[in-house]
Amino acid sequence: MDSIELNDVHKSYDGVPALRGVSLRVPQGAVYGVLGPYGAGKTTLIHLIAGFLRPDRGSIRVLGSEQIQQVDGRVGYVPERARYHTRYTVREYLFYLGRFSGLSGARLRRRVAAEIDAFGLTGVADHLLGALPRGMVQRVGLAQALLSEPEVVLIDEPTAGLDPEGQRDIVDLLVAVRRRGCTILMATHFLDEADLLCDRIGILHGGRIAAEAETHSLHRPSSSVVITVTDLPPATETALIALSPAVQCNRREITLAPNTPELQAQVLRLLLDHGIAIVTLAPRRHPIEEFYLEAVRGETGRNGSSEAPPPGPSGMGDTLLRELLQQEDQRTHEDQERKSL
Amino acid sequence: MNALVRTCWFAVFTLSEYLRSGRIVVEVLATAAAYYLFFRRWTMPMTPEYFFSTAGLLMLGLTVYTGSTILALGDRAVGYVTLARRLGRGPYLLGLYLAVLAVSWSVYGAICLLIALTNPIGGLGFVGWVLGTIPLLLNLALLAAFLTLLTPIVLPAPWRLAVLALVALAFSGNLIGGATLSSLPAPVAVALDVTRTILSTPMLPAFTGYAISVSRDYNGASAAVPLAQLFLVIGLLALAVYSFAKREIVFSA
Repeated sequence: MDSIELNDVHKSYDGVPALRGVSLRVPQGAVYGVLGPYGAGKTTLIHLIAGFLRPDRGSIRVLGSEQIQQVDGRVGYVPERARYHTRYTVREYLFYLGRFSGLSGARLRRRVAAEIDAFGLTGVADHLLGALPRGMVQRVGLAQALLSEPEVVLIDEPTAGLDPEGQRDIVDLLVAVRRRGCTILMATHFLDEADLLCDRIGILHGGRIAAEAETHSLHRPSSSVVITVTDLPPATETALIALSPAVQCNRREITLAPNTPELQAQVLRLLLDHGIAIVTLAPRRHPIEEFYLEAVRGETGRNGSSEAPPPGPSGMGDTLLRELLQQEDQRTHEDQERKSL
Repeated sequence: MNALVRTCWFAVFTLSEYLRSGRIVVEVLATAAAYYLFFRRWTMPMTPEYFFSTAGLLMLGLTVYTGSTILALGDRAVGYVTLARRLGRGPYLLGLYLAVLAVSWSVYGAICLLIALTNPIGGLGFVGWVLGTIPLLLNLALLAAFLTLLTPIVLPAPWRLAVLALVALAFSGNLIGGATLSSLPAPVAVALDVTRTILSTPMLPAFTGYAISVSRDYNGASAAVPLAQLFLVIGLLALAVYSFAKREIVFSA
């Protein structure tokens, strides 16, 4: 069953279209990321699902109902840019919001205590929201959204405006939220965030979902990688270029485009044989970034058919590279044996 | 029942925020100023008529301030978090309304208490005070309900302008009357007169309520006036809640 279902949703403001036929489905328990630049219509989309706005055309079903009022309390909402009442302490605020959600008595106290604990707010529970750093306020935002144990959570730009450390903290908390099993629809323009948290992503561009893909499907070897080395002597460079026209050298960077596992293995072997220290081996672009750019350029179909580069971890050391080479050798050897049989 | 409880909790929440914001200082200062200027012991003793007519007008002015300030608290982006819950739009709006009433009625109570302690009104017993106070408080409730209806989150700007235009037309008797009215072509004068009569009818309870508050004379049909005030309050609030429920929520700030 789909927890969120949008069919051909149109929305415009004073005749200016914001969404032009958005259709998407989020299965129960899945995490769906809506990616798009500022102004793409992500907040409009979330406000439509939350029932603040009404579509000009099309239908929206949340937990099987087209009337969001019927599912109030089963949907949590985290707004963009930490918009909360700042004159309350964290505890007071959660108590009030819990009451508005229909909680009371021992259950309310238990839920507030549980969320304060879950989001690391114990130390600041009696501080005013207005006096908290932005990262803490966003934790309060997550805590309030989950207070009534909703089945669906709508999260709008959870890490916008946070410093890198704050972003990391919130992403870690969102990973924990994900484990609770609720359905999450998250709007973001941070690709790493979507990559880490989402099962499926949709690129919102031009008022439509320009492309959709399962995030795991984007993590497959192909396309191109960049190998950064400490130094690249002319002799090594010549040898590398001789390997294949797909190898391009530029000072301390070697680009394999298109890349193949065999070519990658050859290049790495050559570098190691020449005693060249490898600094990093990484996809030329982040797989989601590549998917995103292709979607925005209209090069990708709706099924996420883009080929993404391999997930080469940055800063890969020589030992790990040797292991990978040995595995590749082993695989090649096994293939040859299979063919000879 | 649950909706009523949530409405009350939201009113408490709003009141609490209003108090913490410090805006209540204006009401406190206004109460002190009103007492000092109009109700402290003068050489002449204060009559009940003087008290109810003066307090009735002062409180209307103060309710406009309180109402617009508290209702503006409900028109901020922080409201999304509140409305995303089970609270509901009706309780949200009624909670704001109740908070306005609580402040407005409390200020009136404070003025009455100050007067009772320092400058008791001659010839006004408790019953007389209650009889004058009921229509006065209902008038404040009526004004607060009207302000609620005119909030940007309830009515879009063109509708608000239209409502205000109708009110202006209903009150236009002072500007377009007598010689001016008779100088207009007969059909226009008749049409204007009829329109004014129709438009000013809903305001009758407010005006007669004020008059009864001052006179405390409930003889004959006057006894029905507080009831008419109450029904008008309910009607305005129902209209506001209906409109708010139908509107898209785009908060101003």
